[in-house]
This record gives sequence, C-alpha cells and structure tokens, in this order.
Amino acid sequence: MFLKPNTPPAADTVGVEHIDGLYSYALVLSRNRSEAEDLVQETYVRALGAMGRLRPESNVKSWLFTILRNIWLNQLRQRRTAPQIVEMDVEGINVGIGTKTADDDPYALYVSTLERNQVREAIQQLPAESREIILLREYEELSYQEIATILDCPAGTVMSRLARHGPNCEHCFLLHC
Amino acid sequence: MNAHDEHRANILLYLDNELRGQDIEDFLVHLDNCADCRRLLEEERALSNLLHRTRPLYTAPEPLRARIAAIAEQPATFGDKPDRKRENLLRFGWRNVRRSGFRWMALVAMIIFVVLGLTLVPRVVRHAEAATFIDTAVTTHRAYQENQLPLEIRSNSPEAVTTWFAGKVPFQFRLPSSQSPPDGHPAYALTGARLLKFKNENAALVTYQMKAETISLLIASDKSAVAAGGDEIRSGNLTFHYNTRAGLNVTTWSTHGITYALVSSIHGSAQHSCLVCHQNMTNQDLFK
Repeated sequence: MFLKPNTPPAADTVGVEHIDGLYSYALVLSRNRSEAEDLVQETYVRALGAMGRLRPESNVKSWLFTILRNIWLNQLRQRRTAPQIVEMDVEGINVGIGTKTADDDPYALYVSTLERNQVREAIQQLPAESREIILLREYEELSYQEIATILDCPAGTVMSRLARHGPNCEHCFLLHC
Repeated sequence: MNAHDEHRANILLYLDNELRGQDIEDFLVHLDNCADCRRLLEEERALSNLLHRTRPLYTAPEPLRARIAAIAEQPATFGDKPDRKRENLLRFGWRNVRRSGFRWMALVAMIIFVVLGLTLVPRVVRHAEAATFIDTAVTTHRAYQENQLPLEIRSNSPEAVTTWFAGKVPFQFRLPSSQSPPDGHPAYALTGARLLKFKNENAALVTYQMKAETISLLIASDKSAVAAGGDEIRSGNLTFHYNTRAGLNVTTWSTHGITYALVSSIHGSAQHSCLVCHQNMTNQDLFK
C-alpha cells in the first residue's frame, strides 16, 4: 500500500468518486456489464468493511483498484477458467453523452462520442494485461509504481507491457484516428 | 527489457514527467540524435492525448451508482472484525428487497410491461425502418465503391450537382458550397452524384473523395427514410444517429423533410467524414 499525504479515507464517502474508474476497470477486466457491476459493488462492500483498518495516509484509490482486481482474480480461480476468453458484452454501452450539456458544441460532442467508441473498441481488442495497464495509467493516472502494486508485479514490467502496446502496436491501429 | 523497450520506456517516463536528474539529460541528448525516438515520442504523445480526450472510458450506470451511494451512506462499523450481518445486508440487500417484494414487484412489472409495450412498438418499427435506410446506404456505398453504381453527373461543383437534382427528387435540397481552408487544399472533393430508388421514391446519392477514401451521402424524403437508433447526439432540433455497419461509419439525421445517411469508409476515423459539411470549421484542428 502506498502512502499519500492529504488523502485520508473518509468513512462516509468510501471513495465513491472513483466509481467510474472502478467500473471502467471492471469492464476492461471482465468485458461483461453485469459482472462489472457486481465487481464494483463487491469492491465497495469489502472496502467499507475494511475501512477501519486503513491507515489515514493510505491511498484509497489505489486500494480500491487492488480490491477489485483481487475479487476478479478470486472469481477466475473459483471458476477454474482462463482469463483470456471472456464473452464481450461491452458493445453499445452509451457513455458520456448524458453528461454533456446542451451548450456543448454538437459537432465536437459528436466527434467525441465517435472517438470514444473507437478507442473503446481498440482497447477491448488488446490482451487483458495491456487493457488494464492502459486503463490504470492513461485513464486513472496512477503512477507506474501504484500500478505495479495493484498488479503485484515490478514497475519495470508495467512499463515494458505499456511500451509493447504503444502506438505502433498491431492491436492499436484503431487508435490512429 | 531490451534496448528498444528501454528507450520506449524513457519516452513514457518523459511524457509523464517521471524522468529525473541525469536520466532526463541523457534522454534529451539521445532524443536529439535519434529520429526514431523523436517519432515515437510524437506518436506516444498523440496517443496519450487521444486517450485523455476520451475520459472516462466508461460511466457507471445510474442503478449501480445509486446502490453504491446507498452502501456509502450506511453508518460505518469500524474495527478488526467486520460486521457480517451488515456486510451481508450491503452485499445482498438490494436483491433481498426484490425477493421479499416479489408479488408487488410482479404487478408493477406487468403494468410497466404493458405500458412499455404500447410505447415501444412504434419505436421498434421506427428503428427497423431506420435500419433499412442505414443498410441501403451501406449497400449503396459498397456498390459505388465496386463500380456497380456509375455516377450520372460528375462534377466537383456543389451548385452544379444541386441544380442537376432539381425536379428529379421529391424534395428540395442544396449541397453546401465549396469551402477552402486557409492553406487552399480542401480535405475532400465532391466527385458527383446519381439518382437511386428508395422505397419506390427517387433518392439522391452524392459522393465525395478524401485522398483514397470514399464518402457517400444518401439523401431521401423523410416520408420514406427514417433516422433513429445508434448513439444519439442532440443539437437543438437536430438529432444525429451514429452507427457502424461492417466497418463503415454511418451517420443519419433528418431535417426539413429530408433524411440523410453519411457513410464513410475512412478507416478508424469517422470524424473526417464530418468535414464534408464542416471543412472550414475553426475547431477542426482538434480532430486531426
């Protein structure tokens, strides 16, 4: 667990502000909406039950992502299935549009939606190990060290995985908009 | 990690402001002497910018958000031993509520089902009609690409094409005039048009070319063509519907009695097809 100043855990919030990030992470891992919802709910339930044991200076965000990943890995073990083949159920998820206001430039809004759809499709085509690193790094802005802690691997491994799936990666062709 | 990966890793660290001291100096010296790494740096920067623009990747659905909010509002019991009863309530509570109120919920569900049925049937029909228009637009686009639909007028003049359609289609429309960007090199070019039949009515097919890529615009009366479904973007009285079909980007909308379907074969970049009408947009740089 990494310690960060100015991030005391608040019992009444339980890091609710991270729900979109956790849901995205759960979808990236499971690629299934109902599973993702269950993962997020279970994460908050466990987090709330363990908040009392969390040190005041702890990094709640990183902790929540770690909990979610552990739950996911436990579920995989229980099913005795490999993580590489999971039915995709993330197409058609309408995201972000509802958060825009009528004052937004409709063309920019339209393009933004197209872009997001293309990026989502591209990311979901990546191997699981790269999907989660991109999500944690680029969307959640966690440091390499924080990601390494969540993934329980050296920071160098995180970087090499990210580097392998940079802009020239064969899976990333859709990202070249 | 090999040498190539190491340089790539340094690029990532540099972009994230995580290179420090001698490392950043060494990296900048290397960057000055390595065209490959400079190119990679720009590509990584562009990729990173793209990903940042699309945050959040997904948004938690409202029912989940409500459940989590309810969990968070529960009075906390801290200690080394979690309150199992409370934890189970949090974990399964919302499902148990559903079970205990099953009969009441079943009645409500039945009422909702009937009401939704009455309201959804027209919507389903509308979406089916919209799908027909989209499929026609895609089929037409493919046929044009495969030279099965020769153009009946070849011109890069929007005014000439607009005039050619006068009296041939059961609606009036006007193609946007040519607009050249400041550098004088249009991103696309009108190539021509032809008549088509859509549900026994004349419709217009207008084609554009952007380098080696094709953009087509199918135009029909809104009496025969419907725009619905897909990702919807509203703007005043206009609603744009974004769909993908077999790798093609299809955008449909209706206005002033006319329904449009813009089909683009531009790989992975539907926004470029928007430049057909927005070539001189001041903010188009955002999308390059």
